[in-house]
Formats: sequence, structure tokens, C-alpha cells
Amino acid sequence: MDFTLLLFFLLAATAVATALGLLLSRNAVYAALFLVLNFATVAVFYLLLGAPFVAMTQVTVYAGAIMVLFLFVIMLLGAEKLPKGEALPWQRPLAIGAAVILFAEAVYLLVQRVRLTAALPDPGTWENSMESLRQMAGMLFTDYLLPFEVTSLLLLVAMIGAIVLTKGERAVRS
Amino acid sequence: MTPSDLLSILPLLVLVVWACALLLVDLWLKRKGVTAFLAALGLALTAGLALAQAGEETTAFGGMVALDGFASFLNVLFPLSGLLGIAVAYGYLKRMNIERGEYYSLLLFSTAGMMLMAHAADLVVVFLALEFLSLPLYVLAAFARPRLDSEEAGLKYFLLGAFASAFVIYGIALIYGATGTTSLSGIVAAIEAGSLGTSGLLLTIGAALFLVGFGFKVAAVPFHMWTPDVYHGAPTPVTAFMAVGAKAAGFAALLRVFVTAFPALDADLTPVVWVLAALTMFVGNVVAIAQTNIKRMLAYSSIAHAGYILMAFVAFGNPATRADAVASALFYLVTYALTSYGAWAAVIALEKQDPSAGSGQAASGLEINDFAGLGRRRPALAAAMTVFMLSLTGMPPTLGLVGKFYLFRTVIEAGQVWLAVIGVLTSLISAYYYLRVVVVMYMREGAPETTREPWLDFTWAVSALATVILSFLPMALFAWASAAGVMGF
Amino acid sequence: MLLSETAISPLFSLAPLIVFLPVLGLLLNIIFGGRMGEKAIGWLASVASGLTFVVSSLLAYGLWAAHGETVVVPFADWITIGSLHIPWNFRVDTLSVTMMLAVSGVGTLIHIYAIGYMHEDVRFKNDPKRFRRFFVFLNLFIAMMMILVSGDSYLMLFVGWEGVGLCSFLLIGFWYDMDTLGRPSWANSNAAKKAFITNRIGDFGFLLAALTMFWAFGSVQFGEVFGKAEEIAAAQPAVIIAITLFMLIGVTGKSAQIPLYVWLPDAMAGPTPVSALIHAATMVTAGVYLVARSWPLYTLAPDAQYIVAMVGAVTALFAATIAVGQYDIKKVLAYSTISQLGFMVAAVGMGAFVAGMFHLVTHAFFKALLFLSAGSVILGLERGHHHLAHHKGHEEHEGKHEEVFDPGDMRNMGGLRKRMPVTFWLYIIGTLALAGIFPFAGFWSKDEILLDAAKLHPEIFIILTTAAFFTAFYMGRQIWMVFFGEPRHEAAAHAEESPKIITVPLMVLAGLSVLGGALNLPGVHTLGHWLEHTIELAEHELHLPAWLEISWGGLNPVVALVSTLLALLAIYISWLIYGRKPLTAGQKDPLKKPLGFIFTGMENKWFVDEGYWAVFVNRYVDIARFLADVVDWRFWHDWFHDKVIAGTYVWLSHIALNRYADQKGIDAFFNGLGDLTKRLSAFLRRLQNGFVRSYALAVMLGVIVIVGYLLMK
Repeated sequence: MDFTLLLFFLLAATAVATALGLLLSRNAVYAALFLVLNFATVAVFYLLLGAPFVAMTQVTVYAGAIMVLFLFVIMLLGAEKLPKGEALPWQRPLAIGAAVILFAEAVYLLVQRVRLTAALPDPGTWENSMESLRQMAGMLFTDYLLPFEVTSLLLLVAMIGAIVLTKGERAVRS
Repeated sequence: MTPSDLLSILPLLVLVVWACALLLVDLWLKRKGVTAFLAALGLALTAGLALAQAGEETTAFGGMVALDGFASFLNVLFPLSGLLGIAVAYGYLKRMNIERGEYYSLLLFSTAGMMLMAHAADLVVVFLALEFLSLPLYVLAAFARPRLDSEEAGLKYFLLGAFASAFVIYGIALIYGATGTTSLSGIVAAIEAGSLGTSGLLLTIGAALFLVGFGFKVAAVPFHMWTPDVYHGAPTPVTAFMAVGAKAAGFAALLRVFVTAFPALDADLTPVVWVLAALTMFVGNVVAIAQTNIKRMLAYSSIAHAGYILMAFVAFGNPATRADAVASALFYLVTYALTSYGAWAAVIALEKQDPSAGSGQAASGLEINDFAGLGRRRPALAAAMTVFMLSLTGMPPTLGLVGKFYLFRTVIEAGQVWLAVIGVLTSLISAYYYLRVVVVMYMREGAPETTREPWLDFTWAVSALATVILSFLPMALFAWASAAGVMGF
Repeated sequence: MLLSETAISPLFSLAPLIVFLPVLGLLLNIIFGGRMGEKAIGWLASVASGLTFVVSSLLAYGLWAAHGETVVVPFADWITIGSLHIPWNFRVDTLSVTMMLAVSGVGTLIHIYAIGYMHEDVRFKNDPKRFRRFFVFLNLFIAMMMILVSGDSYLMLFVGWEGVGLCSFLLIGFWYDMDTLGRPSWANSNAAKKAFITNRIGDFGFLLAALTMFWAFGSVQFGEVFGKAEEIAAAQPAVIIAITLFMLIGVTGKSAQIPLYVWLPDAMAGPTPVSALIHAATMVTAGVYLVARSWPLYTLAPDAQYIVAMVGAVTALFAATIAVGQYDIKKVLAYSTISQLGFMVAAVGMGAFVAGMFHLVTHAFFKALLFLSAGSVILGLERGHHHLAHHKGHEEHEGKHEEVFDPGDMRNMGGLRKRMPVTFWLYIIGTLALAGIFPFAGFWSKDEILLDAAKLHPEIFIILTTAAFFTAFYMGRQIWMVFFGEPRHEAAAHAEESPKIITVPLMVLAGLSVLGGALNLPGVHTLGHWLEHTIELAEHELHLPAWLEISWGGLNPVVALVSTLLALLAIYISWLIYGRKPLTAGQKDPLKKPLGFIFTGMENKWFVDEGYWAVFVNRYVDIARFLADVVDWRFWHDWFHDKVIAGTYVWLSHIALNRYADQKGIDAFFNGLGDLTKRLSAFLRRLQNGFVRSYALAVMLGVIVIVGYLLMK
């Protein structure tokens, strides 16, 4: 067995396990930490696929900055633990059943019908990492200029939204 | 990037710059009426620029966006819908004590997102436009913020919207996996080259997931369940804007992508759309009967109308009727926009703060029974509301009849006779609950308290007149909608 | 088709005025009516309608001068989508002009009558402001009816068809918040809703017909459809049958035929001029017009024709029997209208288009006369009662004299011959015309229908002749009960004759009821030759028995004698029962004893005998319903609906609902369907539980099904 393939399966198992842990954990801090782990595994996937820049971004932005914010919020709110029990008794079994069926459908689609083969790219490509970064930057500012700019607008709107939804309360109270 | 790239999306650019500027200018403005006026001015300017673009056909930004009849039609429709959104909101925001300048800039940003959607010729842009138009709407839904139901509406819309976006993303990923590109022209080329092999199925599933995501946006059954809660909780002017703009933008994306890129998939996808349309018409109309709250009733009505437009969409793969499918859907969108804005304006005129619940807590005057006696108290408003109800049912002499007629005709020409029968049957059911509003207004005693605001009155009066007059003179609109074909690649 | 190639004479360019004159009238009334007096409002509306009649007459003259050639007057482009082009044209041919003349002529007289009637009506009901609204609606109705008859395509016809339905709805519910005496009640608004919803079911049939037509012919223009009809009929005969039968559903709704007739008796809740204009003379004949207009389609589908004729004939008989058992003066006339519409539908169904149209016109005269006279009677009684209440009010303690008095109930009348002599004579003329006594208008038109029936379908002839017998009987009964004997109520004793503004239009109508037969005398066939320009009558190769071959100048003595003698016999029998020994106050109907439960069935529509129902408690709901249906004379259509259309689930829903108290045939069916929809709706609403995760789950289930479908495909 190929080393990278072995690594892939190991990481894949970790990714699935941490995602499940995130979902099933009743403690919000644990859930956040599971998410960090999950992000980290995904970052390694990017490395395996020969995209070191994306992998680094994943680690710094998601696993780093965003998760720290999440944890701050959780700590500030103090709502770490979810209450037990479920208001809709039929919801959980139905949701699990649906998830299983969807998973089965996905597997059937990819393995049986589309016949994807488990071939990973040559791991050697990511050594020349600066070249791929340069290419990506070039793409972003030529072909993908418009999406890039729209993304900036999107962030602006999100910022306004966040301000409107917090500032407003003070205005009404005063 | 060249100046011609910028020129081809000039209305959109102007609107975005205007919105950013408005955000800053608003900080120094004491009177929010000025903000509203400036926002309206920006929208009017945008609509004018878009109108000037009519007839042009080009692509820009390396095939990321397209300017064609379809885009320029919608680029006029969206700013106009935004204008009405401001007209119905201005007095309401003041009255409900939630007047903040950001309302107008957010509305402008959302309109810009819709316009980008009309232009989009690449799935990446489609997705960004979807987010760009939705994010402001999430915030606007929660705009009456101390009010619990408004906050709940915003949060629900956000969570479920994110969930639906995930399906869009996954769909785009599968499409990319199958064809190796996200641009619509690239997808067409890949399909025509016939080299897809087994990954053709991947493409189909991707398209289906894309359909699911936008089915959510346009409120098609079974992806509709957020609609009544969000429409109910959101401030009513936002609901009106959402019901028209977001739905139209969702259909813009569906029409553009499916008609351009996926006609080859129609054998697989037509049955899916067929069932979605039939279910949507049926569930929307049947559940509307049980509603006692006018906002929820109109929410289900909006679901039902999504079903009617989806019906036109069933014909997307048939080359003989494709042009009619796009034109009749656009025509129906205009019909629905006019009628729906009018109906929501009437609802706003009756809505008032509940004095017992304290400031900003809850609104009252939103039950259908609260319309009792309107025929006596505000005859003109009641007459206008009657026109809207008739138009939503699809009865003469209103634009609703013409729109439905055009739709049904397209559907029949496409050979989907049974779907047309379901459409007629469900609109028969819908007569029951629309008529109930009319009956309550004219035949029940009551003393509804209504608000008289110049811009609100303007909205419903103009909508009612247009609904009636255009039903007799729909030619110009027909001509324009039929000219608004989707550019081929 | 007979599209005129010649340049359109300037006369015909007046055609759009028939729609726009009434619209102008109503606009003027809306804008300036607030500052005008009652008289001015009423006369303005009447003049608008009268000018419409003048224009219609000019069109008729132009048509006559052009030898009846069909003229299509282009007015505006309405819809153009790709290959589909639907202009708004005015079709001026002998058929549409006949309708225009009847509608605007009778309509104008009723407008004038309504000036007097509504003045009194609004006075009695203490809401003078509604006077203007009434005339606005009335003018709107004329405009819509004109759109209906002058349209050049099925779509334009449909616009008018829906428009008159809307006016009917508005006018039935005119006194939506009070009953006949001005007491708070929602009965009228419920009647309006019932009429509207029942009509929507008919409209559904119409729409299906139009859609099928569009699908098969690619057009809904009369000219194109009729031009291609033979070609399509040869290729796909089923299509023609489907279109004509779908149309029949529309006809049963608008023209109140079995099974959708139920709304018309309730529609009498509207003011009397409305009953006369919309629910007797004009709107309800739209169905007859539709069949006559679609003659090229119907003549190609003999099976459909026979079904139409049979529906009409059975309705004619069925409604006539119900009319015998009614006590309300307007309800008798309502069932009579259903019955007479049955005659017309049977006629046009058999292909006797001329006879049907002839009866349509004469019926418009005499039924309008009867309704308006009935309105005069009701007003007379109201005046009597008002006088009485006023008089007593001084003596008695307040509130004590508030008895329940129904001015439309014939049991409260009697002896009005002396109190209201003018109305009496007018009523007699209307009755003789309706009963078909020589030489009144009804004799000629009914005789022509009967003669055609005898020639084409003997079984329909027998049914219709029986119906004619009942017609004469219930009209005789009405005359004896209302005008003869002694007053059975003090209000009747104090009744007063109506003013001139009411009686003069009636006299004109009476004149038309006497002379209307001259339109199409046997042997001369003025109307027949006039309509032949539009409708090509099929020549039948018939082997007739000798007695049918006799012709006295076109009149068959056997058919004429049989029907006349039967009518006279029926009037004589009614005299024996009601005239010889007049009813006294509080006395039961003398027919009740000999006919027993049959008569109970005839009358038992409002007074459900509580004790009778109590015997059949919950466990026997089914049996009780069955018996009630038989007793109610509704077995047939109840069966038709429950078994054939609705199937078993309506039964189940009723048994489950256990609402035996209001089971009344077709009403029950609609309630059942409504309940079922509501329950379904309530169930679906319960899924809407407010939880985001449930909503997300619904999305996910949708995804699973769609992906699963695509994978399995």
C-alpha cells in the first residue's frame, strides 16, 4: 500500500470522526475544538493535493482566527452546555436515516455509476509551491477579478449587517 | 479588464458605488427621509441606465458576466422593485420606530446582488450573487430587531439560507467535477463535445442540487418551509421586497443556467421540475386556505406562484418553446411583482403597533379578519385590494389573467397538458382564500384602523391601476419580455 | 366564415360604443354621482343603457342593409405572443346583434324601473347611499354583457363571462349585511358567495374547453376555430366532443342547469331588478348564447348535442316540479327561470338554434315582466306593512308589533287584484305568455321548440310537454294565491299600487310579451331568416309520422293544440285547487293532502321538520339522508354527484362530520369538498412547526428523493 493513500485514509477517518464529534458533543467548547481539528485535517488534504497556499490559509484563517473568535463568543455568552432531550422525538431518527440514505446515494453515485478511481496526484508537485501561488494570484486578479471584488463587497455587507444588528439596540434604548 | 467590461455592467457599478456612498452620507443626515430620497434616486438612475442598455448583447470580464436582453430586462425590473420597496417602507419604518439609514443601503446592496445574478454567466458569479443578494436580506428580515419574531425570522432565514447555499456549492462542485469548468459556455462546450462519459450523471446530479438550492430561494415545495415563518416575522416592507426581488432573482439564475447550459439534461430533469411545480402549486394553495394571518396567507400565495412560474420552467429543454418559457416566466414575474407589492402595501396600511405589547414588541392588524369593514372605511384601498386578489387568482380584468394565460399557453405548447390542468385546478382552489379577503372587506362589519401615507397610497394605487390597465394593453410588456431572450453561447 | 370583404360601413365603427357607453355612464356616476340627486343618477345610467340600445339598433340596421353579412370590427390589439394573436374585435353578426338588442332593450327598461324601485328599497332599508352604487353595478353589467356577446374570440367571451359573473356576485350581495326587512343578516352575502363559487366550477369547464381548443386548433378566434372545425372533426372526433362537453359544464354553471343550478334560487337575494335583468333575462342566457355561438362545433358532435338537449329537458321538468311547491313569489319565478332555460338549452342542444334564440328573446320579455311585477307586488306589500307598523306604533308598546313578516311570501298575500289592479293585469299578461297561451309571445316560441323536439327527439318532446304542463300549473297557482281570494295578512289588505315610474316600463314589457311572437311567426320566420346569415341550420332527412307533417302555414296544429290544451287544463286544475276555494290565513297548501310526501318534497327546502329529523338520530344518518334525498326530490343529482363525481369520500367525510342537519343535496357536496380541502390544509399546516431543523430536514428529504430518482433512472 502506498504511503500517501494510507495517510489519506487515516486523515479521512479523522475528518469524519471530528465532524461527528462536533455534531454530537453537548459542550460548545469541545465542539469548537473538534472543529479546529477538523480544519487542520482538511488543511493536510490540501497539502496532499498540492495546494500549500490554500492549506496555509486554511490553518491561519479558519483554524486560527475564526476559531479564536468562536471560542471568545462561547466564553462570553457562557452557554457552553446544551440541554439534554429533544423537543421533537421523531426528528433525530428521521434525520439520521436521511443522512445514511444520502450517504449511500453519494457512494453509489461516485463508486458504482461514475466509477471514480482512487488516484492521488503526484505528491512531488507541491514542492514548487511559489509557482502555484504566483499562478493563483494571477488568476485572482485577471480571470477572477470580478468574483474577487464581489467577495469584498460581500464582506462589507456582512460587516454592515453585524453593526446594524448590534448597534441598533442601543439606539432604541437611549 | 477593459473600460468596455466596466461599461457593460455600468448600472450595477453605479448602484454599488451609490450604496457605499449612501452609507457614508447617511452618517451626517439627521432626517432619514433624505436618505430614502437619495436611495430612490440611485435606483431610478440605475433603472434608467439599464434601460439605455436594452438591445446590447455582449460578455465581459472574460465571460464571467453577460449583457443581453434577459439581463437588461431584469436590470430594469430589480431597481423598480427596489423603488417600490422604499416607497412602502418609508412611512412604516418611522411608524414602527425602527427608522435607520442602513435599511436603504442594505436594500440597495441586495438589489445590486439581484442585478449581478441577472448578469451572471459563470457559476462562481451565480453563487456570489446569491450570497450578495441574500446577506442584506437576512439582516433586513431581522431589522425590527427588538421584536422577537423579526429576530427569529432573520436567524431562521440565515441558517436555512446557508444550508441551501451548501447545496448550491455542492452542485457547482459536481458540475465542475464533470466538466472541468464553471463557466456556462464551457459547460455547454463540454456537453456538446460528448466526452463526459460516466460523469454525465455527475453533471445531472450537480444540476439537480443546484435546482434544490435555488428551489429554496424561490420557495418551491418541499424547500419552502422557511417562507411563512420568515415572511411573517420580517418587517412587512422587507417581506414585500423579499417576495418579489428574491424570487425573481432566484428564477433569473435558474432560467439563465438551465436554459443556457443544461438543455441537454431535460430528459432527466423535466420530470423533477414537473413534480416540484405540481407540488408547489398544490401545497401552496391548499395550505393558504387554513391561514388566518394575512402575511402567512400571502406567504403561501407566494409559494403557489413560485409553482406557476416553475411550470413555465418545465419547458426549458424544449427548443421550440424555450424562448416562450423565458418570456412567459419574465412576464409572470412582472405580473406577480406588481400585484404582490400592491397587496403588501395594503397589508402595511393596516398594520399597527400593538399598544398592549409595548414599544416595538409586536404588530397587530394582520389577521384577515382585521380587514373587515375596509370596504366602507377606505373604499379605494379595498377596491385596490380586490384588484390584487383577483389578479392573484388570475381573473379578468387584471394582469394576473394575462400572465396565467401566457404561462398556461407555454406549458400546453410544450406538451405538458396535465401540468396545465393542475395549474388551472389549483388556481380554482386559490379563488377560495383570495375571495375570502374580498368577502371580509365588503361583507363583514368592522372598523379597521388604517394609515394614510402618501408613498404607501401611491404604491397600491399605482399597482392597482397598472394591474387593470396593463391587462387591456399588455402588448408593450409582451414585446419586451419576448425580446428579452437569453443569449446563447 | 362570412368575413365581409367589403369596406366596413361607417355605421359599424360605432360598435365599440356598446361597451364604452355604459362604461362612460358608470364613470360619470362614480365621479359626479356624489353631488347628484337620485333621479339624476338613475337617469344618467338609464340614458347610457338606452344609447347602447340605440347603437345596437343602428348596428342591426347596418347589418340588414348589408344583407346580414358578418362584420368584424377591429378595435385594438390585445395579446400577441409569437404566432398567437388575439385582437379585441367586435363581431357584429345577426346572432350577436340579436343578443345586443335584447340585452340593451330589456336592460334599459329595467334601469328605468330600478329608479323607482331602488328609491323605495333604499328608503325601506335606511341606506340611501347605496342608490348610486346600484346603478354603477348595473351599468358595469351591461358593459360586461356587451363584451360577452360582441367578442370575436372565446377568450374575449370569457372576459365578459367572468365579468358578468362578478357583477352578479356584487348585485346578489347588494344588501349583503341585511335581509329583506333590513335586519342584520349575512344570508345575502352567503348567497352571493354560493353563486360565485358554483359559477367558478362552471368556468373551470369553460377554461378546459378553451385550453383544449387552443391545443387542438392553435387559436381561440371564432373564425379560425370554426373554419378548421370540420377538418379537426374528421381527424380527431374526440376533441370536438371533449370541447363541447367541457363547454356544457360552463353552460350548466352560467345558465343554471342540472347539476349546477343550485345558485340561482339563492340568487334571488339580490334586489328585484337584478333578478329580472341578470338572473332571468340576460346573464343566465349566456350559456344558451354560447351553445348557439358554437354551433359549428356542436353540429359536428351529435352525441354531445344529445347530452346537452337531455340536460336541458330534464332540468326543464325537474325545476318546474319544484316551482309547484314554493311559497316565495320570487323563488317560484326562479325555478321557473331554471325550467325555461332548460327549454332553451334543450332547443339549442337539439340543433334548433333559431327556436332556442327565439325563446331566449321572448323569455327575456315576459320573465322580466313577471319579475318586475313581482317586485311591484313586494313593494306594495312593504308599503302596506310600513303603513301598518307606523299606524300601530302609536298605539302599542314599542317592539310588540315587530312580527316576522316576509313580503315575498305568497301566503301573506291574496286579494291583491283590487289593491293593485295595474300590477295584476301586467302579471296576468306575463303569466299567459309564460304558460304559452295563444297568441302571447311564449306560445310561439315554446311551440317552435316543441315542434322541433317532436321532429327530432320524441322523448325530449314528451319531457318538455310535461314541463310545460307544470309551468302553466304553478303560474296558475301563483295567480290565484297572490291576486284572488281575500287578503291573508293585514299588509296585503293595506297594499298600495306602485308609482308610474315602475308601472310604465312594465307596460312596455307587457306589450312586448303580447306581440313578441311576431318576431318569428310560423311560415314567415323573420328571426329564422335573420339568424340564418350566421347559423347554417342542418337539414335533417326525417321520416315523420303523418300528424307531424301537417302544416297550417308552418304551424303544426297537433303540437300547438296539445300544448295549449295541456296549459289550459293545468290552469283549470290550479283553479280547482287554489281558485275555487281560496286559501285562508294560516291554511296549509291544499295540494299537501292529496300529494302527501311528494308535495312535502316540493316545498321542503327551507322548513326542515325538526321532529322528523329527530326520529332518525345519528346511527341512522345514512338512512335519513337517503330518505331525505328521495323526499327532497333530489335523489337524482345527489346520486349523480356522490357516486359519479365525488365518489365515496364525500359520503365518508359526511358521516365522519356527522352534520346531518344541513344535508341538502348539492350544498352538502360542496361543503364536503370544502371541508376535505380545509382538513388537508390544516394537516399540512401542522407540519409547519417552527423548528429550523425540521425545515432543513424537509429540504434534505427533498434532495434524497430527487437524487434517488435520478440515480434509479
